[in-house]
Amino acid sequence: MTEEKKPEERKKRRTATEAASKIGPMVKAAIGGTVQAREEGKPLAYSFICCCYDEIIRAMDVIPVWTENYAGVCGAKRDAQRFLERAEAENFSRSLCTYALCGLGFDAWREELGEMPPEAPWGGQARPDMMLGSGQMLCDPRNKWYQAAQQYMPDVPVYDVGLPWPPYEDDYDYREVQDYYVKYIVAELKGLVQFLEKHTGRKMDWDHLSELVDLTDRTWNLIWETYELRRAVPSVMGTGDAMNTMVPMVFMMATQEAYDFYQELNDELKHKIANKEGEIPDEKYRLIWGGGLPSWFALSDFNYFNSKGAVFPVEVTYRMIEATYNFDMDLSKVTDPLEHIAWRWVKFWTYWYDRARKRPGSHPDVERLIKYIEDYKIDGIVMHEAFSCRSWHVGLIWQLNMLKKVYKDIPSLILESDIVDISSYNEADTKARIDAFIDTLEAVKSR
Amino acid sequence: MPEKAVVKGLAAAERLYQDYGVRARELKEQGQKILGYLCAFVPLEIVTAAGFMPFRIKGDVNEPITKADTEMETIVCPLVRSCFDMALKGNYDFLEGIVIPHACDSICRTYDVWKYTLNLPYAHFINMPHTTGDSSLDFYRDILNTFRTSLGRFAGKEISDQELARAVELHNRQRAKVRELYELRKASPPLISGEEVARVLIAAISIPVAESIELLGDVIEEVGQRGRAPAPKKARIMVIGAQVDSIAFIKLIEDSGAWVVADDLCPGAREFMSSVDLTADPIEGIAERYLRKVKCGRTYREMKGNYEEDLEDRFGHMRRMIDDFKVDGVVLYIYKYCDPFGFEVPQIKSYIEAKGTPVLYLEDEYSMSTIGRLRTRVQAFLEMLG
Repeated sequence: MTEEKKPEERKKRRTATEAASKIGPMVKAAIGGTVQAREEGKPLAYSFICCCYDEIIRAMDVIPVWTENYAGVCGAKRDAQRFLERAEAENFSRSLCTYALCGLGFDAWREELGEMPPEAPWGGQARPDMMLGSGQMLCDPRNKWYQAAQQYMPDVPVYDVGLPWPPYEDDYDYREVQDYYVKYIVAELKGLVQFLEKHTGRKMDWDHLSELVDLTDRTWNLIWETYELRRAVPSVMGTGDAMNTMVPMVFMMATQEAYDFYQELNDELKHKIANKEGEIPDEKYRLIWGGGLPSWFALSDFNYFNSKGAVFPVEVTYRMIEATYNFDMDLSKVTDPLEHIAWRWVKFWTYWYDRARKRPGSHPDVERLIKYIEDYKIDGIVMHEAFSCRSWHVGLIWQLNMLKKVYKDIPSLILESDIVDISSYNEADTKARIDAFIDTLEAVKSR
Repeated sequence: MPEKAVVKGLAAAERLYQDYGVRARELKEQGQKILGYLCAFVPLEIVTAAGFMPFRIKGDVNEPITKADTEMETIVCPLVRSCFDMALKGNYDFLEGIVIPHACDSICRTYDVWKYTLNLPYAHFINMPHTTGDSSLDFYRDILNTFRTSLGRFAGKEISDQELARAVELHNRQRAKVRELYELRKASPPLISGEEVARVLIAAISIPVAESIELLGDVIEEVGQRGRAPAPKKARIMVIGAQVDSIAFIKLIEDSGAWVVADDLCPGAREFMSSVDLTADPIEGIAERYLRKVKCGRTYREMKGNYEEDLEDRFGHMRRMIDDFKVDGVVLYIYKYCDPFGFEVPQIKSYIEAKGTPVLYLEDEYSMSTIGRLRTRVQAFLEMLG
């Protein structure tokens, strides 16, 4: 029986920074906080990362329950299988997003019991009062998951925020269309505010929202400046740590706590740079994590890379910010908070478009890789193809082909597994592939 | 005038089905420019109004996917991979360009792969919103006007309202013909088999819309002349799924001793049952139809009323079809890695079963290699229906 399955023992990953080592307890406290908030009758909302509604829900004192995060925690604790199997028993295909399957399996079980499933990781995922989906060009589960969850919680309303951005096209410049994108996003965000007001009985404090929008801008800029410090040689912080330090970026944005976290990280990295304190003693290969979410149950693979002399000073995954002062507009002049959020969203997603136009045949995603390869002195590229997620894991092969075509041939490795489903993971095979990749890097370096 | 096919009706459909793209190839030689598209969410009226022939890109369940894997991950839905594989193998080398809609992740997230790998003179992404509220409809009108301008630039002309209105009328006539064809399935036994309907519709999406109207008319006339011979009673089946662009699965069901009399498929009822309203600004009617009338899992329909009313809003058209076509059982036929439909399976299944109609859920991989396994499941289902 699935209920009787016990989680496998997991290995704890070694972190390079103090900041990263604090993340686990922070996440645990946050998840526990949502369970506590539920008991206290505070409004809870199932939420997705990267939906630009952080400031809005924080300003309304709605407590986000980050469902992707909880699935990732179940994965990292190697205790997701029983929830995945429950979802499968409900007739959800195992080929669907395993964050969603884990969440749906959990919800089905919790609602059936009327309480948390037994030994639920970190106290479990609290029942929400509302669910906030989104329609983007990024991820179908964002508008299907919560709709599907309503079969277990038919009383919990869903609001789906339309959040598109202009695609990169040859036949027109995105600036020709950006105004109507912003107009639409603002309308959708207004709808979200009305939805939250209706279901919480509270009114939006627009001045407070403006303060949080400003705090978010400052946090974005601080993160960008902090991550740029990682250009240092030797590498002071790797992607393994960044998979932790992304937590305040995506789950705590629009809070002072997030800003303070990055200030501390910034100070720590500067200190390490001043003392030439690398994440490993003998750095041989500098790699970029060029795409894909990590296998949360196998983050110690980053330590395995480290043991071979490889470091990851940069990644594209979870670098969900740009410096707002680098945009092609003065964002500070947009004083309406919803418009400000909408412009920031559109400018973030179109940030690399102009660079791509300058290199014949290139593409923004490829340009971003090239810029990081050059800025961070990269020797090789590693990606991860998670079988259950088409959002972040489609186009990786093509990007590598494009990179070779418009830039240069660079050693690359695509690992294959999943974000949550450990049954897709083969440790021996993964290590063998890493070993072979390291051999390739060495051969290229020796030329 | 383009040269017409020498055979008519079902025989013409068979030729067009077996040699998919044959008519497009003929027309290309005569100077017709052809735009390929994926999915039911490309507003074909705009393509037709611009003077292009819209051509539906389809896969091939008989062809192993090989070339596509060098550019596209195997976690993409197998239908899209097969379509791309067919394109890479030169089956659609008559295309002047491609138009790809924001349908699902497998289509949306591979747009750049299609665009850069095929490197056709024209490529455009229709950034259709996921939600259907008024602000989404306004936004979608803007998206359609961007497409109209872009395609006009490529065609070297401005697409006029009159041209759009004519295209709307033409495509509506085609949809009306399909609805007429479906009426023939209501009889017991149905006057036309599910396999024949599938073949005709697949043929119809590979030829100019005016020719498809003629093809459909010929088929309706031909089938109407069939005698109504008594036949042993068989289970009447409805198939629900995404794009089923091969007759193989429908044939399997009918070979197992049932009639496939209804569907919610593409090409099929999903994309042919609703028409575009003729509005003063034709874009208005086009936007309304594609965003709100075509009911597909890719579109999030805002909840109206309580949960049961929401299910009725999302799936009520399936129930009505079950009633109208006197369906005995439903086969929910979903491809692996299909996010929009995959998430809906439990809700569709329980909704239909709650109305008293049994449902068989099958997950498949878009390949003839799975036919044997599917046949066993279908036969067991039909036995259960009795």
